[in-house]
Amino acid sequence: MKLEKDNVDNELSGTLPFIKMESSDSSDKGNIDQSEAQRQRQLDRLDREEAFYQFVNNLSEEDYRLMRDNNLLGTPGEITEEELLRRLHQVKEGPPQQNSDENRGAESAEDVSNGDSIIDWLNSVRQTGNTTRSGQRGNQSWRAVSRTNPNSGDFRFSLEINVNRNNGNTNPETENEPSLEPSSGEDLENSQSDSEIPRSESPSVRQPGSERSTSEELTTEEASPPRGQRRARSRSPEQRRTRARTDRSRSPINPVSETPRRSHHNTSSQTLDHSSVNEVEGSSRTRQHVTLRQHAVGTEMPSENAVLFSSPETRPAPQAAGSSETNGTSESAAPGQRPPTIVLDLQVRRVRPGEYRQRDSIANRTRSRSQTPNNTVTYESERGGFRRTFSRSERAGVRTYVSTIRIPIRRILNTGLSETTSVAIQTMLRQIMTGFGELSYFMYSDSDADPNGPTPNQNVDASEPQNGGGGTSGNENTDVSSGEVYEGGNEGGSTSGARREGRNTRGSVTFEESGSLPFLSLAQFFLLNEDDDDQPRGLTKEQIDNLAMRNFGESDALKTCSVCITEYTEGNKLRKLPCSHEYHVHCIDRWLSENSTCPICRRAVLASGNRESVV
Amino acid sequence: MQRASRLKRELSLLSTEPPPGITCWQGAERADQLRAQLVGGAGTPYEKGIFDLEILVPERYPFEPPKIRFLTPIYHPNIDSAGRICLDVLKLPPKGAWTPSLNISTLLTSIQLLMAEPNPDDPLMASISSEYKYKKELFLLNAREWTEKYASQQKRVRSTPHVSSPSYPFAFHSHFVQCSSPLPFCPVVWMPLIWLYFT
Repeated sequence: MKLEKDNVDNELSGTLPFIKMESSDSSDKGNIDQSEAQRQRQLDRLDREEAFYQFVNNLSEEDYRLMRDNNLLGTPGEITEEELLRRLHQVKEGPPQQNSDENRGAESAEDVSNGDSIIDWLNSVRQTGNTTRSGQRGNQSWRAVSRTNPNSGDFRFSLEINVNRNNGNTNPETENEPSLEPSSGEDLENSQSDSEIPRSESPSVRQPGSERSTSEELTTEEASPPRGQRRARSRSPEQRRTRARTDRSRSPINPVSETPRRSHHNTSSQTLDHSSVNEVEGSSRTRQHVTLRQHAVGTEMPSENAVLFSSPETRPAPQAAGSSETNGTSESAAPGQRPPTIVLDLQVRRVRPGEYRQRDSIANRTRSRSQTPNNTVTYESERGGFRRTFSRSERAGVRTYVSTIRIPIRRILNTGLSETTSVAIQTMLRQIMTGFGELSYFMYSDSDADPNGPTPNQNVDASEPQNGGGGTSGNENTDVSSGEVYEGGNEGGSTSGARREGRNTRGSVTFEESGSLPFLSLAQFFLLNEDDDDQPRGLTKEQIDNLAMRNFGESDALKTCSVCITEYTEGNKLRKLPCSHEYHVHCIDRWLSENSTCPICRRAVLASGNRESVV
Repeated sequence: MQRASRLKRELSLLSTEPPPGITCWQGAERADQLRAQLVGGAGTPYEKGIFDLEILVPERYPFEPPKIRFLTPIYHPNIDSAGRICLDVLKLPPKGAWTPSLNISTLLTSIQLLMAEPNPDDPLMASISSEYKYKKELFLLNAREWTEKYASQQKRVRSTPHVSSPSYPFAFHSHFVQCSSPLPFCPVVWMPLIWLYFT
């Protein structure tokens, strides 16, 4: 009872004039007062509700869409008409502002301590479909791209954060850079990798010059974000020779289709997410590729990798991550280092039910497959209901790690959305986010198994030209020069040679475990929005918008919206489903965002599947 | 909150034209908690029983189905010992069949139908289900016995309420109300007075 009361109080003290229909409190006296006040609140609510419908009906279609997509409508009765109006004006004037760098930058600055702003933004992004935003603040710049595929419902998001480590020290960079990019070693590598991957098809090739113009520009080159990858990289431009390319990742499979981005300076690292094995499974999942790349100078870079790796986890916000890293490492790092870039690419894909089932039988925590041609190794583990798949593929010294985690959505929901999720989830997320912390475990347990066998060989073979060209291979050379450095990175994926050695030193790198890291919440965001097999699947905004809409006329036969059980009034906006059933636009839109059938006849709304849903 | 206005409409409909054998009213503590009583159908082993149900209306109602469970123990293949009901319209698609065009009245009617026509092929209580399938007589006997024991009007007056509802701390009061009231009686009107009486 006390709780009840507290609830009421909390709600009343909330910013929104949000009133729950709490009924009589049991406190002895005041019972009647309470119910009186409550009745009044309910009346207010209903007034607001009326006003809401009025407001929605008076909106033009564009305005309606705008508000809905920005999630400004709320629910009827929750907010006042004035507030709605204010929001509308805001959003109308808003768009340019929202995209502006200052705005964004400010936001990120304010919210350094938590990733909420990004989450919020993601929420809105997710609703609005394709968006690109970028911003810059201080020595950090970021760019985020989201895409929604209306047909498949896939959602793809990539976030790239670039931090200029040497804020006051940009000169060396720009000087050094030219020597880095076009140098012969790189070219060699380029040619080599070109043979593997027809890079020319990548639309996102940028000119080195433009990129170099600002050190922070690194982030803006994702013309077409590949799916599901996260990259942290750092490079030191000087001395390409000794540069240890401890990690170079490129998916050997399906290289072309994935529209590699940042192709030129990324010659060494490209993550394509077709790492064959994972492709099929996961009824829905978040895929993440981690490519950790380092063009590092062996001697000078010792701490860099570890740093980079830890940055996502130890820092409260992505933007902050880089910057604090900067502080942490700038003393030790050489002055002219290239700014590190953190790339986070996530994709949420919907997979048809049943797709996952085929693979259900794979034993837990076993290496299910080892493919010599691609050197693709997949590990699967299941723990507490969360299925993890980890796969590694390697080719020509380029290694791609893919980690997939499938968490039934209800598990998360049960633990509460806003609260910190269960320990299990947190650990798992942390593991993904920290570059597959568990990889080392697998490495240990499987160290005697074959993956080490074929991989080094291929690795060496393929990277020979590179070795000759500029000592760029990620093999034993790496170990000597900067393998120790890479310990943290090793987990994420250094080449096999480094890995061995890494195993020994691994303990020295400790990842700080902080629960509030933004990437964690990002991952949470995506996982939460993941669809489970059992979860209803809704339509995308685009699909909903394609449905017919009209205004109510008095002559219509059916006069009541069966969602809200309210009679239509003149001017109400109705949406007509293919089955001819009509509803209030705002009523049916909400239903369809989570379901795909007509509330009355249960027919699938989408033309493609115009079948009776079998229940 | 669409649910507020919709609930209001539904409740007024329920009070003006309730389906036969069904009573439903708003709970005393929370507006999103309704209570209902179903009268066991004639010709069923639940005849002469009055069954209490608890209805929790989620925040997202009507986009989410209300949560309904029996408070009165009932011997039924699709209703478990905690009162949970296995019925498709109580679940969201794609597993379930809930749609916003349904309402509390139709749900209660569905539950009433389920009482009359158990679905042993989708059992919640396996033992009762097999009994229903293969030893119908025994099932009827047991069901009648339970009805007599827990749901009959006379017994309910004296026996301690069997409502196992931790989330419902005022079982006694509500029980009192139910016992002292004939079916068409709407306790919500009297609740404040009773509260005052007790305090």
